[in-house]
Amino acid sequence: MNHWLTAPILIPLIGAIVQTFMGYAPISLRRTLAVATTLLLLASTLVLLAMADDGSYRVYAFGNWQPPFGIVLVLDRLAALMLVITSILALFCHLFSLGGSDEGNRQFHTLFLFQLMGLNIAFLTGDLFNLFVAFEVLLIASYGLLMHGGGTVRTVPGLHYVVLNLIGSAVFLISVGMIYSVTGTLNMADLAVKVREVSGENLQIVKAGGMMLLVVFALKAALLPLCFWLPKAYATATAPVAALFAVMTKVGVYAIIRVYLLIFGDAAGPVANLGMDWVFPLALITLAMGVIGALGADNFRSLFAWQVIISVGTLLAPIALGSSASLSAALFYMISTTWTVAGLFLVADLVASQRGTALDRIVTAPKMRHRTFLSVLYLLGVLAAAGLPPLSGFLGKVLILNSVEPGPQMAWLWSVLLVGSFLSLIVYSRAGSIVFWRTVDGHLEKPESLKRVTSLAATGLIAMSIVIVALASPINRYTEATADQLLNPESYIQILDTTMVGEDT
Amino acid sequence: MELMYALVIGTLTATGVYLLLRGRTFPVVLGLTMLSYGVNLFLFSTGRLVAGQQPIIGSSDTYTDPLPQALVLTAIVIGFAMTAFVVVMSLRSLADHGDDHVDGSQGDDSQAENKHRKEGSGQ
Amino acid sequence: MSLPLVVFLPFLGALFAPLFAQGGRTAIAIASSVPALIALAALFPLWPEVADGGIVLQSYEWLPFIGISFSFRLDGLALLFALLILIIGLLIILYARYYLKPGENVGKFYGLLLCFKGSMLGIVLSGNLLLMLIFWELTSITSFLLIGFWSHKKDARRGARMALAVTGGGGLALLAGILMIGNIVGSFELDDVLAAGDQIKAHSLYPIALTLVLLGAFTKSAQFPFHFWLPHAMQAPTPVSAYLHSATMVKAGVFLMARLYPALAGTEQWFYMVSFTGMATLLIGAYVAMFKHDLKGLLAYSTVSHLGLITLLFGMGTKLAAVAAVFHVINHATFKASLFMAAGIIDHETGTRDMRKINGLLRYMPHTATLAMVAASAMAGVPLLNGFLSKEMFFAESLQLNLPGWVAWLPPVIATLAGIFSVAYSARFVHDVFFNGKPINLPIYPPHEPPRYMKIPVEILVLACIMVGMFPAFSVGPLLYSASFATLGGEVPEFELTILHGFNLPLLMSVMAFVGGLLMYSQRQKFFDFHARFKEIDEKAVFESIVHGLVDKAQRLTAAIENGSLQRYAVLLVVSVIAVAALPILNLGLFVGDNGLTPVDWPTALLAAVLILCAIGTATVHRERFTALVLISVVGLVVALTFARFSAPDLAMTQLSVEVVTIVLLMLAMYYMPSWTPKESAGGRRARDILIALIAGTGMTLITLAMLTSPFNSISDFFLENSKPGGGGYNVVNVILVDFRGFDTLGEIAVLAIAALGIYAMLKNTTLTPPAGDAKGHAWSRDAYPLMLQQLARPMLALALMVSAYIFLRGHNLPGGGFIAGLITAVALLIQYLANGMTWTQDRIGIKYHNLMGLGLMFATIAGVGSFAFGYPFLTSTFAYITWPVVGKFEVASALVFDLGVYLTVIGATLLALVSIGRLTPMPHPAIPDPRENS
Repeated sequence: MNHWLTAPILIPLIGAIVQTFMGYAPISLRRTLAVATTLLLLASTLVLLAMADDGSYRVYAFGNWQPPFGIVLVLDRLAALMLVITSILALFCHLFSLGGSDEGNRQFHTLFLFQLMGLNIAFLTGDLFNLFVAFEVLLIASYGLLMHGGGTVRTVPGLHYVVLNLIGSAVFLISVGMIYSVTGTLNMADLAVKVREVSGENLQIVKAGGMMLLVVFALKAALLPLCFWLPKAYATATAPVAALFAVMTKVGVYAIIRVYLLIFGDAAGPVANLGMDWVFPLALITLAMGVIGALGADNFRSLFAWQVIISVGTLLAPIALGSSASLSAALFYMISTTWTVAGLFLVADLVASQRGTALDRIVTAPKMRHRTFLSVLYLLGVLAAAGLPPLSGFLGKVLILNSVEPGPQMAWLWSVLLVGSFLSLIVYSRAGSIVFWRTVDGHLEKPESLKRVTSLAATGLIAMSIVIVALASPINRYTEATADQLLNPESYIQILDTTMVGEDT
Repeated sequence: MELMYALVIGTLTATGVYLLLRGRTFPVVLGLTMLSYGVNLFLFSTGRLVAGQQPIIGSSDTYTDPLPQALVLTAIVIGFAMTAFVVVMSLRSLADHGDDHVDGSQGDDSQAENKHRKEGSGQ
Repeated sequence: MSLPLVVFLPFLGALFAPLFAQGGRTAIAIASSVPALIALAALFPLWPEVADGGIVLQSYEWLPFIGISFSFRLDGLALLFALLILIIGLLIILYARYYLKPGENVGKFYGLLLCFKGSMLGIVLSGNLLLMLIFWELTSITSFLLIGFWSHKKDARRGARMALAVTGGGGLALLAGILMIGNIVGSFELDDVLAAGDQIKAHSLYPIALTLVLLGAFTKSAQFPFHFWLPHAMQAPTPVSAYLHSATMVKAGVFLMARLYPALAGTEQWFYMVSFTGMATLLIGAYVAMFKHDLKGLLAYSTVSHLGLITLLFGMGTKLAAVAAVFHVINHATFKASLFMAAGIIDHETGTRDMRKINGLLRYMPHTATLAMVAASAMAGVPLLNGFLSKEMFFAESLQLNLPGWVAWLPPVIATLAGIFSVAYSARFVHDVFFNGKPINLPIYPPHEPPRYMKIPVEILVLACIMVGMFPAFSVGPLLYSASFATLGGEVPEFELTILHGFNLPLLMSVMAFVGGLLMYSQRQKFFDFHARFKEIDEKAVFESIVHGLVDKAQRLTAAIENGSLQRYAVLLVVSVIAVAALPILNLGLFVGDNGLTPVDWPTALLAAVLILCAIGTATVHRERFTALVLISVVGLVVALTFARFSAPDLAMTQLSVEVVTIVLLMLAMYYMPSWTPKESAGGRRARDILIALIAGTGMTLITLAMLTSPFNSISDFFLENSKPGGGGYNVVNVILVDFRGFDTLGEIAVLAIAALGIYAMLKNTTLTPPAGDAKGHAWSRDAYPLMLQQLARPMLALALMVSAYIFLRGHNLPGGGFIAGLITAVALLIQYLANGMTWTQDRIGIKYHNLMGLGLMFATIAGVGSFAFGYPFLTSTFAYITWPVVGKFEVASALVFDLGVYLTVIGATLLALVSIGRLTPMPHPAIPDPRENS
């Protein structure tokens, strides 16, 4: 059996364990080891990407127990893609944290690595209950990270985030229970088979369970009306944490794609395409809400926090339509938006560090230091975020627009998306011109130098939007292949027949 | 029996939900605990209610479904960790705001907002 | 390869030009002109190919899946525009060299200018609509940055943002339009689109697509009602105004109309939308220009009006009109650019642009004056100058329109009217500035001629005006022909470029325009008084107030919805859950499955009653926190009993031990918290919450009932069968935990560890002082460490350790296991803390709980990785039997190592968490009752 599949889980796990022993080691050593871990992780995910690209499913049965009985990891194109998105993002965030935001308490790197472990389990697991466990791992780590950095401002948004997610976890357990109580299994592939035979009253139970599960994922993905925990939490989090959290909402999106295409996909008979008719309108409203929030934002970080919500809407709308083209477009856009928004959070932090007491608030202030450098980063970042040419966001947006079939849905999606882009154009030009152009005379208190590592990390993430354009063709080929793979659950179900080690085939 | 059990779960859920909609951290914590009791009982009962058939090989001739038990055990542990965390978080909030309201100082948002801005500085 | 070169060289230049900034303005100006020179050199050899309608196509694949390709396409139209962009661009570079002051950021200026030039060339040379759109938006962005070049000026910033909003927004509309056209045609390649004209016009989406495309064109070319951004763009440095906002960028819109003319034009909709927009713009621009006191303002509105003229010509739909339009593009570019430069010179030399101050400059700068006057006459359409020719053609065409009834008179009348205005404002430009008495307190006095080279660009352009005006056929004939050919997609109508077409109606209209214009100017005071009656609206202010309104509304809305109240968010969450589950559950109703109900026995019923009562009790008395805590712990105990009752001993034990620790935890918390909850949620709120809670409870009851009574079969038989042979354990639950689903357990202990770390980190630098007494004001017991407890604690520890060891070892076969054992140990140790205090215990235990946890996780991981060695996957277990003293024959599974990991992690995590809470407060009991001082 292919041990590579465990790498994205074991590498951060071991790295984190090492960190726990190093409570009193010098910070330089801890940093080196931590970043080394993230680098290793990146390497391993790239290997997995290369593997997954042959279009086959790779299965890893823990304890060598035949699925559906044991827990399996399943590597397909989607999983590999999510792993790579995460590990690249993680590397830059981790580098940024070396600029000093990892100080304050010794747990940062441990929590950071555990967070990655949780994310990777979520992307790889083929077991519904194990997905729950993965969520808990990444959530508890995120709670810790969210509170990192001291100060009293994070406590309340953090508390809200925690409580809401605890409720979410309870609902998750209930829905898993409901689904198990009818199908008697937890393995996703097996579930996909079993739900097709469900009938009678059991059908209602499965439906209720499936819908409640959707709410849980929607909470993670920050879909309206469950998105309000996000802005303040992200806006107050430490920069690298906020940046890393750009992928947290995508976990929810991932879970929706995975579960609702595999288990409740077209082939699911009575429960086919469960809940998707709720998701499409909600996604559009979410998009609109995000734009409104962005309009009202009065500092960079909450502005970008709302941009996260805009992205969620932009992502889920085409996913809800569920055609191969729209899925592929959504995935392409996801790659772009995740990195871009994360980069913008880092930029916001750099700006805040160069403007004295004005921080990143959208107000008149004395001329910041390194204005040209930062304004260029900002310009590139918001161009990509608002989906203006020639950066990756534009390609993603065009793909999404093109993927809709003519009809009322097209009318809705196009108008919301384009009007949204128009308003974000106004928002970003306003914010930018106030922060970078509208300066008053006066000197800055607390001069802070721009650290090389932080500038590098921020630039790196922003530059990804150019890299994506450069690699657009291969990326698109991959996302298209991924979409097709997702729309063919039958082949996923085949994993139930995997032979275990020592079995003679 | 089943009806009674269902009622128990219903009660736990209802009281849990009611409590976690309160405005102070302590009742919210109680609510979450209560809710998780309900959830655990529910998850446990997905194996149906069977008496005297504990899944220990040889202890009887038929056994109840062991899987939900294992799941609930995991759930209990995780729930415990989460409860501990949220309790501590409310303590921290108490320390930061001198108040145990879930929204900080009496949920006075506008002020809390400005505080955020002033203190919410990049590290 | 030459065409991409032409487009991308300027971008390349933009990267390198700023490096020459240190070398002074001359150096960078020279550096910046290199790309244009190379581009011209690259273009001229292609001229013969396109001269009579040929097309040069240089195409490279880029993103086929979107339909974007790097295809560049040169034809007459593209060539004409490219030449305008390049040549005027060169002149601008020279001009700007003298316009910019030494202190200014010339690197940025020339860099942006080159970026713009590249984008503009991209628009005209693109052979692919999406590619063109990319460059289109780039021009919007670069123009934004150039208008805001003097970012310290408020008006510059606002003008820039307004321009971006309008043109960028138009770009989005254009994007939509292009995507539609692409969907109709099935390709974004210009050649395919131009060939598919009939198909497009026949398609049901054509009206929408056309509207969107025209939105793009009109916004860019400042057509009414989107014209307002252009005058405010005049905050830019004058070279920018001359280049972007009169000669090139604002022509992008009309270029687009020319470009897509064969594909979109020739329908009713096209005719009405384009020609009427053009007419309105023509008239409004000309009228307003008359009353502007700002030199650049006058020129800006005149530009608007001339753009309207060109649009109107394209709208008319006759072939000759299109030719006239193309012709006027050339003429306007030349005379307007030179006029802007002249205005810039005047501004530069006098320090103001207010025509009420600037008078009689002829005496001070005769040379410049002459140039400006010639250019102005061209603008007015004086014979022997280029403006006259295109205007004559326009007048002629305005008579050709076959409109029904009186409407037929509209075009010629409006044309003449506009002619009158334009003569009037041209006259004003000339007379006010260069004659009309003496200058009135100029900031710079006396003004004099600018540096020699600053005038060269103006001279060249003015020369062009004259050449075209006198020898049209010779000077622009061929270029115009090929451009018109490209625009019309073949068959160019007969048009003769002679100075005079004989005495005819158009000429009469011109004469009327002149007489009327001069008359109007002589009577200007009347008109000014008339105009003064309407108060002028400042679009910039309007735009700002709109944006402010938006922001303000958004802020209020956001604050109203995202109000930072957890209670609201929680309600939203719970209600969403109820909402989505409602329908299926209602369908379910009070359903009892085939298994039916089993009888109730009294002990169980009693338990249930206790549980329900305590639960409700907790909810009702939750404000007396201690009571609530006692009640909820009873609930927890009953839950444990329930597990035991329904054959789940492991769960019972776990629940019990967790219960103990949780209660200890909550007690610790309560020690710091106020011991009662103030009453706050109003009755209405409570009623609502009760309702929600009841609905949720009912839903769960119904589901549970339906579920419990329905038969089902699960995968669990497999576990029962394989637990012993495969997992080597009799206790199936434990085997599932450490073997079948060991990976869950790994995650679970990870959660524990992370939680503990998080708690530790969170409380690190926090201190809390507990209230001095309980609600009723009883003080705390002064007795810190009760003797009884101390006496009991130590023997208990030893006992507890033995018990936990036993429970741990037997776990694989009988209820028990690492987790329960761990908790028991943890509790035992906890008691030591309670009995003997932090320091005392810590000294004697002397383990770092971090390391204990780390150790636990490590054991678990090693137990998993171990199986790699044997080629088996993670967490594959194996077991062997050994005979132990006392315990007897005993079987050790490799899973035991894993379970050991669980055991250690649990101890470490639990103690780390609880001890960090214990550490919260410096002294055992506080003297100061006020906790607020810590916040």
